[in-house]
Amino acid sequence: MLEARGLVKAYATPRGKPPLRVLDGVDLCVAGGRLAVVLGASGSGKSTLLNVVGLLEDADAGEVTLGGERVSALGRSARSRARGRYVGFVFQSFLLLPSLTALDNVLLAARYAGRAGADARRRARDLLAQFGVLERQAHYPPQLSGGEQQRVAFCRAVLNDPPVLLADEPTGNLDDANGRVILDALRARARAGAAVVVVSHRADAAGGADAVYRMRDGRLESERAVHQGGTR
Amino acid sequence: MGRITRRYGFTIAGIAIGVAGIVALGAMGERIVRFIEGGDRFVLGQISVAGKGMGMGAGFTAGGMLPASAIRAIAAVPGVSGVQAQVMLPLNPSTSQFMTLTQELILGVDLSVPSPNRQFPTLPIREGRQLRAGDRGVAVVGASFATSHGLRVGSALTLEGEAYRVVGVLERTLTAPDRFVMVAIEDARRQWVAKDRMLRTIIASGAAAVNAADLNTGAAVGWRDGEDPDAVARRITERVEGVNVQIPSELSALLRSSTAFFSALLGGIGALAFVIGGLSLANTIAAAVFERLRDFGVKRALGATDWQLGREVLAEALAVTLSGGAVGVALAILLGASVDRWAARSGQQLFLFSGRLLGGALVFSVLLGAAAAAYATLRVVRLSPAEAIRRGA
Ligand SMILES: Nc1ncnc2c1ncn2[C@@H]1O[C@H](COP(=O)(O)OP(=O)(O)O)[C@@H](O)[C@H]1O
Ligand SMILES: [Mg+2]
Repeated sequence: MLEARGLVKAYATPRGKPPLRVLDGVDLCVAGGRLAVVLGASGSGKSTLLNVVGLLEDADAGEVTLGGERVSALGRSARSRARGRYVGFVFQSFLLLPSLTALDNVLLAARYAGRAGADARRRARDLLAQFGVLERQAHYPPQLSGGEQQRVAFCRAVLNDPPVLLADEPTGNLDDANGRVILDALRARARAGAAVVVVSHRADAAGGADAVYRMRDGRLESERAVHQGGTR
Repeated sequence: MGRITRRYGFTIAGIAIGVAGIVALGAMGERIVRFIEGGDRFVLGQISVAGKGMGMGAGFTAGGMLPASAIRAIAAVPGVSGVQAQVMLPLNPSTSQFMTLTQELILGVDLSVPSPNRQFPTLPIREGRQLRAGDRGVAVVGASFATSHGLRVGSALTLEGEAYRVVGVLERTLTAPDRFVMVAIEDARRQWVAKDRMLRTIIASGAAAVNAADLNTGAAVGWRDGEDPDAVARRITERVEGVNVQIPSELSALLRSSTAFFSALLGGIGALAFVIGGLSLANTIAAAVFERLRDFGVKRALGATDWQLGREVLAEALAVTLSGGAVGVALAILLGASVDRWAARSGQQLFLFSGRLLGGALVFSVLLGAAAAAYATLRVVRLSPAEAIRRGA
């Protein structure tokens, strides 16, 4: 479960212009088992929203609750641990570590959660197999195609089975076929119980979403809500 | 370690060059320091007495003749434990005597009495044996002398046209004795007479009654336990006529002040080496961290705490510094050895890779590497993960 209330984030602008209020009081609630899609033009603040919700960046105001814990109030180290415990990230540019093999990239998620071991290895291999990249496990990211890299990155994001999954333009660097694989996988995670937020500037990412929002002028507008099953 | 080497090849090379610089310059400094300290220990271990006056002979004590009567008088001074007559002759009088400590010398010692030097009761032997009472026509040579003249135990050696056999080679001391040829004093006296035309004239003219036992350039004097060597030296000056007595502490001070320039120079070079090598090392480590800013952002996104990241960086910095340091030390030793092989032809050694230098350089490198890693990590974790990812892209 993910709950964000009253998020404000402004960036300083050069030459003394007024600061840019990228988030101007944003609320976002996504219950476990649901997939929310946030649409918006480039520069509308979608990434900023996701970063603040995922504790990659501090908001100027507002609070974030993950899995029932008010994580925005935590100290730096506790916030790091909360990220590892609650959140999986999928980025547009994959962000695999180039110095690690595909398998080690996936296992990185277990390392910081203190769960590295035979179990994590087995699970990592199962995930890689599920996404058809097991035979690539010993390859380094530069040796993989974009589609393969994003599959590996997805395996890394879900290795610890996080209750919240945040995807920032996950298909932005992929062809249609690979994009479908990732979007399907995100939907499957939601069906499996995670709260999933996908951010995209392309409306076709909204297919199959339980809720669709649009970022505009620092605010999040509800575009379409599909109520089914539990609330929030 | 294999992975570390692959990933950090350039970093390790950078560190290796920095450490090699530190160690090579440090080794030159150590070489000089050992030389100065060794000389200092030697002069503090005995009272050196030379004859006053005629200015014949030369060498360490650079004095005149010290007759047998003077030696007996010195032995009678209260506090004196022993006197060993010596003849010290420059092997090649034409070379500059600017630094007599680096000159090749013939040292004839009276083997019938023990060496009174408290620091060097015997000079350590590398090969063969020491001189002993009754030896004639045999020599023990210093390590540098042996190298530059191609001598070993059993070699023949010609001094002033007389044949000697090498019976021993001294351990390298990095000080004056490395260039000594040690012989019995009786042999050295013959050399002296052969070398010194004026002395021959005096003896032939009968102007002075000179016995063989009077032909000493100086003597090493020892003191009894509990005596103050400077006080004993002053007592000798007061009670014995016609001698030049070196006060040990004054000689030591003189030696130190005459080498002060070199000490300061090498201290400066060493300090500079540490600063430059250290800066290059710290910069290399910090750059290796900043270079992977994005990776740190990603790791923090995956839940890495500051502490976990710090430990990772530290472990990598240590591995990189140690491998770079080891390569650097090896490089420096290789370089020093090849330069010294060339220098050995003239009996010189320019580098001394002492344990304290190597240990010190490695500890210094590791501490600095760790400090640089800690600094870089603190800088990195102050950024938000999003910022780190953005900047590192
Ligand atoms: N670190 C930053 N400093 C200054 N301005 C920023 C920073 N990050 C984002 N911005 C600005 O905030 C706005 C929103 O950025 P972003 O959240 O990346 O938009 P989106 O993901 O919707 O394209 C943009 O105008 C961008 O230039
Ligand atoms: Mg964006």
